[in-house]
Amino acid sequence: MSRSDEVYVVGCGMHPFGRDETVTGMDMAERAVREALADAGVAWEDIGYAVGGSDVSGKPDTLVGRLGLTGVPFANVQNGCATGASTVLAVANALRAGEASLGLAVGFDKHERGAFHVSAARYGLPDWYAETGMMLTTQFFALKTQRYLHEHGIAERALARVAARAFRNGSQHPLAWRRKELTEEEILNSAEVSPPLTQYMFCSPGQGAAALVLALGDRAFDLCERPVKLASLAFRTRRFGSFEVFSPWLPPGPHRSPSVDAAEAAFRTAGLRPADVQVAQLQDTDSGSELIHLAETGLCGHGEQEELLAGGDTDPTGRIPVNTDGGCLAGGEPVAASGLRQFHEVVRQLQGRAPGVQVPGAPRVGFTHVYGAPGISACSVLTV
Amino acid sequence: MISRLIDEDLFESVNPPRLTGARCSGCATVVFPRQGSCPKCSDGAMSAHVLPVSGRVWSWTLQAFQPKPPYRPPTGGYRPYHVGYVDLGEVLVEARLEVPRAEIRIGLPVRLTTVTAYHDEDGTEVLTFAFRTDGNGER
Repeated sequence: MSRSDEVYVVGCGMHPFGRDETVTGMDMAERAVREALADAGVAWEDIGYAVGGSDVSGKPDTLVGRLGLTGVPFANVQNGCATGASTVLAVANALRAGEASLGLAVGFDKHERGAFHVSAARYGLPDWYAETGMMLTTQFFALKTQRYLHEHGIAERALARVAARAFRNGSQHPLAWRRKELTEEEILNSAEVSPPLTQYMFCSPGQGAAALVLALGDRAFDLCERPVKLASLAFRTRRFGSFEVFSPWLPPGPHRSPSVDAAEAAFRTAGLRPADVQVAQLQDTDSGSELIHLAETGLCGHGEQEELLAGGDTDPTGRIPVNTDGGCLAGGEPVAASGLRQFHEVVRQLQGRAPGVQVPGAPRVGFTHVYGAPGISACSVLTV
Repeated sequence: MISRLIDEDLFESVNPPRLTGARCSGCATVVFPRQGSCPKCSDGAMSAHVLPVSGRVWSWTLQAFQPKPPYRPPTGGYRPYHVGYVDLGEVLVEARLEVPRAEIRIGLPVRLTTVTAYHDEDGTEVLTFAFRTDGNGER
């Protein structure tokens, strides 16, 4: 692909994640968009195509009432944890198709406290499944992690190491929610939620917003000193035999996750290997998920995680820095904003202006990964 | 005491309990609960298929906090309970596990049983399926 067909991130903005009763989802989205526009040095009038996502906090296209009634095409997407990635994919495709040369992707959410409330019918499941107490995302993460630790001989302490690193990174990040470091012992000894996972190994639904300005080809270099190339973005749904949330039954293994498909496709399109990644974002709804995603995306082999974590290899100064902003564990998970938070962090890392801990050595290859219900994953490779 | 099954379609019989799923005539995929089309191949016809009653715990966890509705706690209120997948050979079934914490482990032989899920407003006991430690299972 020639440079004129490539899509670049030229601006990014983010409303701090966490809890703030004084702002709505739309308020946060507006702030993130204005920040992204200012970062790119463009005006809302310059945006030729926009896509927004929100799971529970309103129709994104109504933001035009706040930003300006310019007549811009503005599409809404709703893809669970892959919502942010879907907004970026839709904008990038529109730019490549000649719809515009400058586009905007935005995601925001503000969730109620506590575990996500789910309806059996919405997932095509019978009522008994929820009535008998089996329809909980937390159970799924625990069951998948329990089996994974067993199959690969990994000790539960590895789960605490993931969370401790997340809170350590979050403590130094101005946009993170959980800013207090916790020791591995504090994490292991916190309240049991669903073994092997404890309270501090889970992220919480929260609130936040993030936005990106994307530009096509040369326009990107006119606007931005260091545009970040969207080298690839692959979105996949599950295939037969994957082990997903809300499954009353599973076929006998092996169980292949859509994360494997999405990561393979993202690396193939980018022409890079997992070993080339210098800063990564992995969906860490809980410690177990991140641990499993490390291997499913190819960043390490199955069973190698324990050594990797113990050796500090996933720390900002390590070989494969993971979730340098603290991920979902420190940021919480406003569903439609979470994926764009990942882009925000990786873009800023690759530009050498991380809001929190900067990965040393001027990283040139970044990676993002999201995974969610009902068996979806999106991965991207970003380069400078 | 009057009792009913939480969903008649799940059971082939109650005494002794047998679960019924469906099997694809094309690719032999077994699903639970039964459904009209095969999630793996587009060719086969699905027909009712009675599941084995014994298997092994494939994974397990504890539900340590009370779920939000539509979960319905038993009379006397919510108490933490185990859930897991049981490997029945041709299919893994997710179920409540009536196994004490001290005994529960991956690989534990278990056998199908029924437990009280909750009571209807008129007092009818509502039964659902579960697995308990299989005393006759091989070690």
